[in-house]
Amino acid sequence: CTKDFAEINTNPNAVSTLTPEFLFTKAEYDGVSNTLFLLLGTMQYTTSFNDVAGFGSKYIASQVNSSSSSFSSAYPGALNELSLIINAVKDDPTRVNLLAEARIWRVYCYSRLTDVYGDIPYSQATSGYTSNLFTPAYDAQKDIYADMLKELDEAAQSLDPAKATYGASDLIYNGNTTQWKKLAYSLMLRLGMRLTKVDPASAQTWATKALAGGVITADGDIAKVTYLSSGQIINQNPLAYQLYNQDYIAANGSTNQEGGKYQDVFINYLKQNRDPRLGVVSVVYTGGSPNVTDTTFAKQQGMPANLSAKPANFAQLSEPNPRTVLLRGSPFLVFTAAESYFLQTEATLRGWSSSTPAATLYANGVSAGLRQWSLISASDGTIPTAKINAYVARNPLVTGSLAQQMQQIYTQFWVAIFPDAQETFASYRRTGYPALTPNNYPGNATGGQFPRRFLYPLSEQNLNATSYAAAITRQGPDNLLTRVYWDKQ
Amino acid sequence: LPGAAQWALASKSSTQNLAYAKRSPQALPAAKTSLKEAVDQLKRQYNVRIAFREGLLNDKFVAAADNSATGLESNLGQLLPAFGLGFKRITAQQYVIYAAASAPAPGDHIRGRVVFAEDGTAVPGASVVLKGNAQVGASTDADGNFDLKIPDANDRQPVTLVVSFVGYSATEVVVTNRSAPLTVKLAKSDQALDEVVVTALGINKQKRALGYAVTEIKGEDLTQARENNVANALTGKVAGVNVSGLSTGPGGSSRVIIRGNGSLSGSANNQPLYVVNGMPIDNSVPGLAPTAGGGGSNVDRGDGIASINPDDIESITVLKGGTAAALYGSRGGNGVILITTKKGRAQQGIGVEYNGTFTAESISVLPDFQYEYGQGDGGVKPTTLAAAQATGRRSWGSRIDGSTDYVGVDGQTHPYVAQKNNLKNFYQLGHTATNTVAFSGGTEAINYRFSVADLNSIGILPGTRYNRKTANLNLSGKLSPRLSFEALAQYNLEVGRNRPSAGDATANPNWSPYMIANTADVRWLDPGSNASGNETVWNDASVATNGYFVINKFQQNDRKNRFIGQGSVSYELFPSLVVKGVVSQDHYDYDFSHITPTGTLYALTGQYVGIKSDVTELNGLLTATYNKQFKNFGLTVLGGANRRHSELNELDQFGVGFTVPYFYSYNNLGSSTTQALSSRQEVNSVFGSADFNYKSLFYLTVAGRNDWYSTLSPANNSQFYPSVNGSFILSDAIKMPAAINLIKLKGAFAQVGQGAPDPYAVNLTYSNVASSGQPLQNVSSNTAGSGISGITNANLGPVLSTTSEGGIEGQFFGNRLSFDLTYYNRLTDRDIVNSTISPTSGYNSVYLNAGRVRNRGVEFLISGTPVKTSSFSWNASYNVAYNDNRVLSLADGISSINLTSTVGNWAYINNIVGESAFEIVGTRILKDAQGNTVYNATSGFPVATGLQPLGKSVAPLTMGFSNDFRYKRFSLNVLLDGKFGNKVFSISEVYETRLGLLKSTLPGREAGLRLQGVTQTGDVYDRTVPVSGLRLYYDNYKNYSELFLHDGSFIKLRQVIFTYNLPAFHISSFKLQSATIGFVARNLVTLLRHTDFDPEQSFSNSNYQGLESIGLPRTRSYGVNLSVKF
Repeated sequence: CTKDFAEINTNPNAVSTLTPEFLFTKAEYDGVSNTLFLLLGTMQYTTSFNDVAGFGSKYIASQVNSSSSSFSSAYPGALNELSLIINAVKDDPTRVNLLAEARIWRVYCYSRLTDVYGDIPYSQATSGYTSNLFTPAYDAQKDIYADMLKELDEAAQSLDPAKATYGASDLIYNGNTTQWKKLAYSLMLRLGMRLTKVDPASAQTWATKALAGGVITADGDIAKVTYLSSGQIINQNPLAYQLYNQDYIAANGSTNQEGGKYQDVFINYLKQNRDPRLGVVSVVYTGGSPNVTDTTFAKQQGMPANLSAKPANFAQLSEPNPRTVLLRGSPFLVFTAAESYFLQTEATLRGWSSSTPAATLYANGVSAGLRQWSLISASDGTIPTAKINAYVARNPLVTGSLAQQMQQIYTQFWVAIFPDAQETFASYRRTGYPALTPNNYPGNATGGQFPRRFLYPLSEQNLNATSYAAAITRQGPDNLLTRVYWDKQ
Repeated sequence: LPGAAQWALASKSSTQNLAYAKRSPQALPAAKTSLKEAVDQLKRQYNVRIAFREGLLNDKFVAAADNSATGLESNLGQLLPAFGLGFKRITAQQYVIYAAASAPAPGDHIRGRVVFAEDGTAVPGASVVLKGNAQVGASTDADGNFDLKIPDANDRQPVTLVVSFVGYSATEVVVTNRSAPLTVKLAKSDQALDEVVVTALGINKQKRALGYAVTEIKGEDLTQARENNVANALTGKVAGVNVSGLSTGPGGSSRVIIRGNGSLSGSANNQPLYVVNGMPIDNSVPGLAPTAGGGGSNVDRGDGIASINPDDIESITVLKGGTAAALYGSRGGNGVILITTKKGRAQQGIGVEYNGTFTAESISVLPDFQYEYGQGDGGVKPTTLAAAQATGRRSWGSRIDGSTDYVGVDGQTHPYVAQKNNLKNFYQLGHTATNTVAFSGGTEAINYRFSVADLNSIGILPGTRYNRKTANLNLSGKLSPRLSFEALAQYNLEVGRNRPSAGDATANPNWSPYMIANTADVRWLDPGSNASGNETVWNDASVATNGYFVINKFQQNDRKNRFIGQGSVSYELFPSLVVKGVVSQDHYDYDFSHITPTGTLYALTGQYVGIKSDVTELNGLLTATYNKQFKNFGLTVLGGANRRHSELNELDQFGVGFTVPYFYSYNNLGSSTTQALSSRQEVNSVFGSADFNYKSLFYLTVAGRNDWYSTLSPANNSQFYPSVNGSFILSDAIKMPAAINLIKLKGAFAQVGQGAPDPYAVNLTYSNVASSGQPLQNVSSNTAGSGISGITNANLGPVLSTTSEGGIEGQFFGNRLSFDLTYYNRLTDRDIVNSTISPTSGYNSVYLNAGRVRNRGVEFLISGTPVKTSSFSWNASYNVAYNDNRVLSLADGISSINLTSTVGNWAYINNIVGESAFEIVGTRILKDAQGNTVYNATSGFPVATGLQPLGKSVAPLTMGFSNDFRYKRFSLNVLLDGKFGNKVFSISEVYETRLGLLKSTLPGREAGLRLQGVTQTGDVYDRTVPVSGLRLYYDNYKNYSELFLHDGSFIKLRQVIFTYNLPAFHISSFKLQSATIGFVARNLVTLLRHTDFDPEQSFSNSNYQGLESIGLPRTRSYGVNLSVKF
């Protein structure tokens, strides 16, 4: 009487074996979308007069738990998908590229997570099904960094152009192993440089190794996940979709659901430097009419981050340009040539590299940062070469102290990497630049200082209490001011 | 008294030997009423028991005017003699009808007389049968004499006669000398325990034979002060049955828990199994129950029991524990609610019944907000439209002073005065009209009953409507002496419109009236949209939807087509062995759509949610029953097999962005997905039981069942579990004082198994994720909408729940007082819990054989008749039950499992070892050893403790107190009920604190709030929060769960019914048999509560209770009921 039970208990809508390619595409989407959007506010690009939506720029104590969102979604998303792929392909020598690219992408995903939260479950994570491990330990960020760098090294070396790739399922490079190798070494450069404050020797070792391996410098090698402009939401640029759908969909400058605008700090900086990107990224709605936008310099004005109610001039303030920043079909830039050049500039200034002068690398970074908007929108993002050259000429690398040069590099970095605020947040904590003034909003959780990390989900106290407690003991209290390992004072 | 015995049960098959007058129906051309109906009517009217031999009143009809006399005895005297029947008063409450004169019978006879042992007076209508051949029987006449013809087969042999009479112990007499005068004395036994109740599989059993707790409720107790959902009508009526009606508007669900939550799993069904005429029905909520954090289409779509029309119910029997329900297998572990529907009866002509009820509903509890400081922020009231919109739900303004420069969200200037009637102004008077017409009748061979009913409700939220149409047909027949059948068909059409959502803010119409600033009139938000149809702004958060926009523009429609069909055939293979086959199917098709319109502020281009599902519950049952009476032993053996197949097929549609604005079609969506969901499971079972009875003194039932579950891996899917229960009639075994009518001892031990609640939990699977580009795949359990919520576990084994219970029942003082005390201990072991786990494991939850949970408690019922005269009586019944629920252990290494949390994680529902199941968990404000508040010197806010158990989400102590007063033709029923010992976490109050509505936010409004305490390092902390910072200070209170936690205890005046029985027999020209008019009210007054809201304010019938959210306010209802029989 139980002979048909096996069939009855088989889900007719699911398969019993995975397809690595399909999971990899999903992992690329999930890895990008799992961004802490609130950092756009923290890094003073945007703000809102609304308490909840304005948390990023105000760090109000009562809203601190909203900062744990990307922790909770990372593991069941990209991280678990990648670990499933790795388990499925790791013993098959013909799929070595599938394994290597999954490992590289997993490092990207883990680095985004540990940079925000510090110590996180790593070596024991995503083993709920394979090992019945439901309460993984938190690894020290130091160890996580060591392992991530090792992973990048091994994966980069194992890539083999003669073997099969993900092909079209790889939305970043269409399976191109040469470019994946560049991404691996670029991430090695990024993570290696992250260690300059806490462990300069290791930083030098890894940065040198990365540069020797070959990093992204050409616009054509920029790592970007491509999206569609319509169809399923998951196929659309998550940052653009989030901003558009949650705040700017009305496109009239006035009835923004979450009360968002560009922050005055960002707009003022672009205006002061007559940055040609201002009109690319920002618009003003004229007279509140839907879709009548103006990108002229003089009219651009950001919103202060200390408001608690909608200002009278709200409709006249600058907000993201629907033809560039809010384009749901635009790619998300994962690793840009600009970032690579800025990191190389710093490495050169530190004396770790001497192949190209620092000033040249810096100028390459600035111009790459201006050029990259044409990847977002060829029509509305392309800045004329003459304007780019003029801007680069106006902003040469200063010949001062390393501190002055760092300030210049990482202030430019702040503008060039927009809207990837999460990377800005990391480089800000490492270098201290750009020299932003923290918002001392009433009731803020930090006593008017910039957050140094964000909170673990409350649920970890409930579901993974022992591991959580061990992490707190090692790292420090679970608040916004505890510094992560590489952010050593 | 419920379950009034018909003596027939003691001597079922002896009727054909009885001689009684059978008048030709044609002699009474005006007759429409059967004599039995007339007698039943008198029973109800005078609240007495009238015993008669089964069949004695059949085929006898009376003119409607026959019952013109007043007083029971006059009536009986008028009715009976024409049929050669007599009656006698036995006790104040008990009468017997007997054949007045027996014709002398030829042949070998035994003649004798039956008298009452206590006074030697004659027993009329007693049954005398020949033991071993129940076909041979007679009944006594008015003087107690009988004359029994003995068949030739027994010639010259000693014979044993069994003499029985309702309410008295059956007595056996051995007759050796047939010519000697014979006098049989009958000793009193208990009456109530001779009652017959419907037990598992629809088997009728004498109540005295049961070793476990059973409670029966008559259909008429449910029909007068009716609830749309009949399960809610059980509130307070049965000890240990914890009923929570939801405040989700008409067509909402109910939650019934018997003897506590038996499973720790969030998705497990802890509610009892509903069984209609012996076969299970589906009680699922389409698209699952609403959640605390959900928004949009997060509505209660109504459960399965809501489809049953109370007018079709003959009786409801509640089988409380696994003991009672072992025969139902895995799903009987939480108790079984057996519904027996009305059947047709052999009668002349067609019986027509009409029952109509009209009730109105209004809000039961209005909140008590602060009305000292009005709309605004930082102590400043709005004087511009922009400021009014920014502070639409902020009552942090200046002192309410009646000033006239205040501007509201309508842009107009208004006096700055308190608006205390926002709820009354926003909601309307709801009403429900129910009409049922039933036709019944039949012949000796085939009986029928057909009813049609219409229930039409208008909710208190404008635009909310619910309509339920029910057609119910019951056919039963005896096709030959051995072959009988029964068929049941019920068709339902349920249509709901704009059911109100609860939980979070989005599309929640209740937000505006509750959360609007206290000086703003909610009607200023009307109509909620501008000329182009877009939502108008009323506050700073677009997710807090304008309530009038929800009412006027959101669209929500649901339609459920349900068919319940059942057919059974039974055949007597040879005497004492009956084989019965039953097939039943409960199937519904469900269609739901929810439209977030174009112009909604939080979803400007609109959204679409659709559910199309069909659910089938198919059961096949085959049983064989063997009955045998030995010398002192009675034996009943039952064997059977059962197959249960249940299936859900669902298509979930979701889309965003209506391409053509304001045009709402799934085809008009910019982005849409349809996801298929399927859930199938099957349980196959064989079972057997044997009932023994020794001299009607000891009763013992032994049962066993083996289940095979499709949801478990083949290695673990078979499970056997036994049960045994017995009773002992102490008062029959030992001589008791006269005041004691009955003492019964009972005891039971039962195990009930259970498979995994969800299918497909054995192997990990991968699901396609809807994509417009490259194909995407994910683990099914991490794929939203895939229907699989946890990682799988091939080692899952079945759950085993073990119940032990024991008790004592007693009746005293001529049955004027009775009690029933039961103790039980129910242990669920190896419970399968879909446990939330740390997402760092890669998964959100896992199926584990994770726990042991114990429910133990006592149930006590005392009832009596303090006053009884011929014209006035008062019956009172009080029941109380205490259930101690405790999680004994969870999976190895796990001491706490999280199940759900509120929006914002302000409170959690967890299972924690040592606490109650589904414990409310949250934070408190940290205090130092001296009781000082500990402040975080950096942020300036109190420090929150870690998560702590805060209280039980389910009331451990429940009680009900029912009173029936009857004076002549008037009756008054008053029911009080209460629950005690649980906690409620109020999500509303979190917002009402953040928004400055609660009185607890008043400190500091004038000069700022001084905080004094210590820092985390023990230093003195002292600061004053300025008025401008008060809002953010109180806003932060949401991080301290304890501030919003309340004692959920209450006592309510649950029901009042005042009825008048029209002297129906007088209205002969209308041919009315009876008519009753009643004034009815439900949920009238809350006599005790510790909350500012109705403590029963609940929006979901899921396992996650104890969370109040911003839902539809609870209502009281009152109206009239008219019941007429033709």
